[in-house]
Amino acid sequence: MNEYNSNNSIEVRSVTKNFQGSQVLDGISFSVGRGEVFGFLGPNGAGKTTTLRILLGLLRPDSGEALVLGKSLDTADAQRKRVGVLFENNGLIDRFTARENLRYYAELYEVSDIEKRISELLEYVGLSDRGDDLVGIFSTGMKRKLGLARAILHKPDILFLDEPSSGLDPEGQKMVHDLIVGLSGQSMTIFLNSHNLDEVSRVCSKVAILHHGTIQAYDSIERLRAGPSGSEITITLSDPALGDRAVAMINALPCVTSTLQEHGHIKVTLSGQSGSAVLEALITGGFGVEEAVRQKRTLEEIYLDVVREAGGILGNPESVAIQEKGSVKG
Amino acid sequence: MNGILVIAKKEIRQLTHNTQLMVSALIMAFIFGAISGPALIATGGTGAGVGIDSLVFTFALMIGLLIGYILSGQTFLREKQEGTIETLLAGPLPIKDIWLGKVIGVLIPAYILTLASTALMIIIAGSLRGDILIPSGPIILHLVTVVPAFIACGVGVLGFIQLLLGMRENQIINVGVIFGLIFLISFSRELLGPGFTISWAGEGLILVITGGLLLAVNAMTRFLNKERIVRSIP
Repeated sequence: MNEYNSNNSIEVRSVTKNFQGSQVLDGISFSVGRGEVFGFLGPNGAGKTTTLRILLGLLRPDSGEALVLGKSLDTADAQRKRVGVLFENNGLIDRFTARENLRYYAELYEVSDIEKRISELLEYVGLSDRGDDLVGIFSTGMKRKLGLARAILHKPDILFLDEPSSGLDPEGQKMVHDLIVGLSGQSMTIFLNSHNLDEVSRVCSKVAILHHGTIQAYDSIERLRAGPSGSEITITLSDPALGDRAVAMINALPCVTSTLQEHGHIKVTLSGQSGSAVLEALITGGFGVEEAVRQKRTLEEIYLDVVREAGGILGNPESVAIQEKGSVKG
Repeated sequence: MNGILVIAKKEIRQLTHNTQLMVSALIMAFIFGAISGPALIATGGTGAGVGIDSLVFTFALMIGLLIGYILSGQTFLREKQEGTIETLLAGPLPIKDIWLGKVIGVLIPAYILTLASTALMIIIAGSLRGDILIPSGPIILHLVTVVPAFIACGVGVLGFIQLLLGMRENQIINVGVIFGLIFLISFSRELLGPGFTISWAGEGLILVITGGLLLAVNAMTRFLNKERIVRSIP
């Protein structure tokens, strides 16, 4: 076994998992640093929920190891007190009031000064006036808020969130995002399992994209957006009439993948990160450059490229939406 | 508070908050208690103690199991159906403690209802005979020790099955359990005979056997497995 890096909250090493002959995870490895907000992305059926369950000790990997704070949660009962989790069903009891639900979990996690902590959390998630109402009559958004309060009741070091904004309206989604951002400010490590690209790009600093049981991309969002296979520059020439000549010259450069002229601008897609070679060539060639703006890819574009390159079924953003509406979980 | 007791307390609260379920369990306890009293008189017995002992001996066990079965569905199966079991399994308690907390949570209300049902049966039988029927000493020991231990065993096995098996398998088992229990409640007295009596030594032996059964059920829990539970969540 390799030594555990104490700077990491989560370490997954060469984990494989097979269900009835189907390889769900095929040797995935990644780590999540302390205090990081990590997005675990992938289409339905990619293996996200299986990975989450392995991390939480609910499933055992066939090979490899999944460590949370240096230990496998499968056997480390006490270690699980340092972990909070919010599954899609919120883990709430409909026949109990909001306070009764929180009290039950507070007793389980041996939280001190229970009533004070419950009041604090109800206030934090904006449910202080609904504490004595039965959870069964709560809306989906209110249940999610209370579920989140339940998950952080014992002040965990790591919070695992499984599709936290699933089934919520835009207002509810924003509320959940704000809560996650608020929590990340309290130096809590957050593992966000999601296929909601907007959500991940808003709240996460680092992502892994899982597809067909393997990690297809794994880096900070910033680096992925400016990644080696995708930066784009939009150039505006001082004299737009010289556009054709400039395009011909730019196309001859080895770092350029493609060019497109539209509305007096030239969009240049680069195979490398640096666009300075293009600008240098233009200026040396006597072209006046009025403006050069570097365009970064969106997370959605990165995701679609990654999945497409991995031989996935996704071909356009519409198909992402179709996937998100599916019910089969990874 | 100990985690096992937290789970047990939650289960008792959840069961008592479920009016529909509690009414069903009460009706079951009342009906079987009410019809068994006259049956005791109809089949007769030579002495007050003899007649009541033969019925109480098996009745309390079977009605306890039946009520335990009704309540365990809410405790084990429903938590699995609603998926909240996954949150519980990801918490700090070992799986065996979760199971034990749930068994205790079902045992307490099931035992109280069993005693109430048995008392009702004895009162009705006594009033029909115009007499006060008092069970013998060994049968009182039976009610205080063997009956709760037996209910705990039954609920423990049911909970174990309900946690580990899928919903379809559980439905098939449920049908078998319910018909089996009703058959046993209805015919157990005939199987034992109206002249059945139990001595202190006999009851002691039964207590030892029940203790062994509890140990066996406890040993069985090492086969509880989070992966199997999670993978059988519908």
